[in-house]
Amino acid sequence: MPQPKALKNIRVVDFSWVRAGPWATRWLGAFGAEIVKIEWPESERGRLPSSTTPQGVPVNLNTSGNFNDTNLNKKSLSLNVRSAKGLEIVKRLIGMSDVVIENFSSRVLQNWGLGYEELRKIKPDIVYVSMSGYGHTGRNHTYTTFGPVAQAVAGLTYQSGLPGEAPAGWGWSYMDDTGGMYGAMCVLTGLYHRNKTGQGQHIDLSQMVASVPLNGPTLLDFTVNGRGTKRPGFPPGNRAHWPGTPLVSNARGPTVAPHNAYRTHPGGYNDWCTIVCHTDEEFQRLTQVMGRAVPAKFSTMAGRLEHQDELDAWIEAWTSTLGKYEVTELCQAAGVRALPVQSAEDRVENDPQLRHRTMYQPLEHPVLGVHKVQNAPFVLSETPAVNTRPSPLIGQHTKEIVEDLLGYSHDDLRAGFEDGTFWPTKRPRFPYQEAMLS
Amino acid sequence: MSGGPLVGLRVLELADEKGQFCGKLLADLGADVVKIEPPGGEPCRLVGPFLDDIPHPDRSLSFWYYNTSKRGITLNLETENGRALFRRLAADADVIVETFPPGYRESLGLDYESLRAENPGLVLCSLTPFGQTGPWRDYASSDLLHMAAGGEMASCGYDGSDLPIAPGGGNAWHMGCHYAYIGIMAALVYRSVSGQGQYIDTSIHEACALTTESAIANYIYRGETLRRQTGRHHAPAPTSRTQFRAKDGVYVTALISGGLNPRNVKALADLMDVTGMAGDLKDPKYQDPSVIADSASHIIDGLLASFIASLPAEEVYHAGQQRGFTWGAVRAPEDLLDDQHLHDRAFWKTVGHPELGRSFVYPGEAAIYNGTPWEISRRAPLVGEHNAEIFCEELTLSRGDLSALAASRVV
Repeated sequence: MPQPKALKNIRVVDFSWVRAGPWATRWLGAFGAEIVKIEWPESERGRLPSSTTPQGVPVNLNTSGNFNDTNLNKKSLSLNVRSAKGLEIVKRLIGMSDVVIENFSSRVLQNWGLGYEELRKIKPDIVYVSMSGYGHTGRNHTYTTFGPVAQAVAGLTYQSGLPGEAPAGWGWSYMDDTGGMYGAMCVLTGLYHRNKTGQGQHIDLSQMVASVPLNGPTLLDFTVNGRGTKRPGFPPGNRAHWPGTPLVSNARGPTVAPHNAYRTHPGGYNDWCTIVCHTDEEFQRLTQVMGRAVPAKFSTMAGRLEHQDELDAWIEAWTSTLGKYEVTELCQAAGVRALPVQSAEDRVENDPQLRHRTMYQPLEHPVLGVHKVQNAPFVLSETPAVNTRPSPLIGQHTKEIVEDLLGYSHDDLRAGFEDGTFWPTKRPRFPYQEAMLS
Repeated sequence: MSGGPLVGLRVLELADEKGQFCGKLLADLGADVVKIEPPGGEPCRLVGPFLDDIPHPDRSLSFWYYNTSKRGITLNLETENGRALFRRLAADADVIVETFPPGYRESLGLDYESLRAENPGLVLCSLTPFGQTGPWRDYASSDLLHMAAGGEMASCGYDGSDLPIAPGGGNAWHMGCHYAYIGIMAALVYRSVSGQGQYIDTSIHEACALTTESAIANYIYRGETLRRQTGRHHAPAPTSRTQFRAKDGVYVTALISGGLNPRNVKALADLMDVTGMAGDLKDPKYQDPSVIADSASHIIDGLLASFIASLPAEEVYHAGQQRGFTWGAVRAPEDLLDDQHLHDRAFWKTVGHPELGRSFVYPGEAAIYNGTPWEISRRAPLVGEHNAEIFCEELTLSRGDLSALAASRVV
């Protein structure tokens, strides 16, 4: 018997695009919610431009690999919400749904006539989660973000890099991933509260603002102790402390050494292993694994912090003779904290833990074929999150939603394709769209 | 309005640095989170920075931040009396969050099945470095190690350097806690319909491995390994820089959304012309896409870089945003205290520390719950601060019983 779904009978009207919003609803779909993704090919951002279409496959609205992984477990309704007829149709859908979620700029939904006051007239207990760059209130609410801009403005970028150099920052939209997490958190929290009380609400999430609480201890060091981060030795690279600078906490756990990434054999781009010793005992175990006599200046934590450049060179002379997985296994067998730097290929092909946990499992997409997709990082014993369907082709479920769910006739569907409600009249249709009109 | 969306939810938290943020996420939204620490206090109370730089279990600012709105008790689960008291608390709890090494809780006889026998609606979430199974499940970890194995470091660094960089701030723990919160809330939504609790096995390693945007897709669909670049996205081949130094030495992140095209180049020229820094960019030839393509370095590394170098970063940020450019100043965290937008959203909170006779400013909420406000209801608990409240008032032990338990190191 199949296991039950945590979000059975929950329907989500999903206006979200690009990454953060779709990453949120992907997980709601994995928990069994019916996600109806509202799309329009003329103003689509997420399917195109695509830099993850396999070599040899034409780039079009249905061939982005990253879109596929980001939009599993959803259905797609192609609909021109900016037309009067399209608006009427989406209002009918909202009236049968539990959640509305979007990640547009702050006034878009309101300008369509779908602000919260309007939504609650259609569905009094609706849970509405807006995921805009700066939120719906505050003087900069019209500002826009990408992950890297939210990360810069909110202080995350600044905390990555070597002291005295430009910020290295985050090499991807961390706040699209994490913004997606908060989107899902807001929806689930709003649904739980609704189930308990019968009350819906508007939850106003901001990508930029959501970044700020991730700097908590660093901010308290300033508001409580008056110590800012514009100081020598900050940020301290991969270390907890930069030698030759005042010994203060840099908000990366205990202030200890060793705490770094070390070159491993054969010295390729991603041949590195991280090693951290929290105590003298852990360091002694490391030196036993290394099988080398310990210079006296490394025997105490204070000495290791002071002589960190020499310490790191000393450790690297050992790690560079071994592969990164060998260093990891030798250290961990002795109770020493060590893990390899892993590329995407390493995670998918070489990581024995992720393999054991079936992190990447094949799923068939009607155009892209069979590829591995990313699974959930949690196992719920009764209602696991499961990837049940590939990402939808654009408008793939328009007939199903319009006729079967919303109760319009087949003639209504055909008329909507003729008048540009379900697809731009001048845009060629995909074969599956022709099929749904026959 | 009265309280957050999770008012009425009782959570027991047995968590160190790996899971304390998950408890905070629940507590600030109204859940009654009781943090259960070993006698003497949780070891991460000794993680700095400290109030006035004086190390003490009640002065860790890291602990303060991650434990707001919780109550705190001490309990030695390695004693029979301690376990008996824990079982009484677990019988009335909605959620337990724990970060023990796999197998430890079971070795104490506190396995999920036996706890559920007393409380069928119980949601128990284990949040551990690698989950409860697999060849790495007993491996030791740290924030840095997770950023390595999860793939974060492979994507962060500098142009022209092989050194991978781990961004600071404890974000591996944040990633694990965000996913743990999602698992717990999904289980609670299910329980609100079915009445059934369940067990959740959450892996921090997997949470981190899921948090590198398109890196996995680039590999799976195209076989690509991404290169690290200074202050911008990883990419299979080098891309134009997006981080520029402003006049005040502060950097600006200035992406051109949609890339350089005639519309963007015209908007850029109009913006830079305000301060006379448009150079030759107003020349009509720049409405030709092929000219733009051939001039990309001149436009980005020449004109745009010079424009940004002529103004303070905050001015570039606001001037750009007001003209539709998705730009931002690369601020140090403490600069956020001056951000007027955050003040408009009442983001900063004043939290009283009555034992010190002082109050301090704390960061606030990621999202405004318009119907059910987020709130820091109290500062982090002192060691064992609520022992009497929980053990005597709630579990009806006498003060004498509590003293005896303290003397025998049970609490």
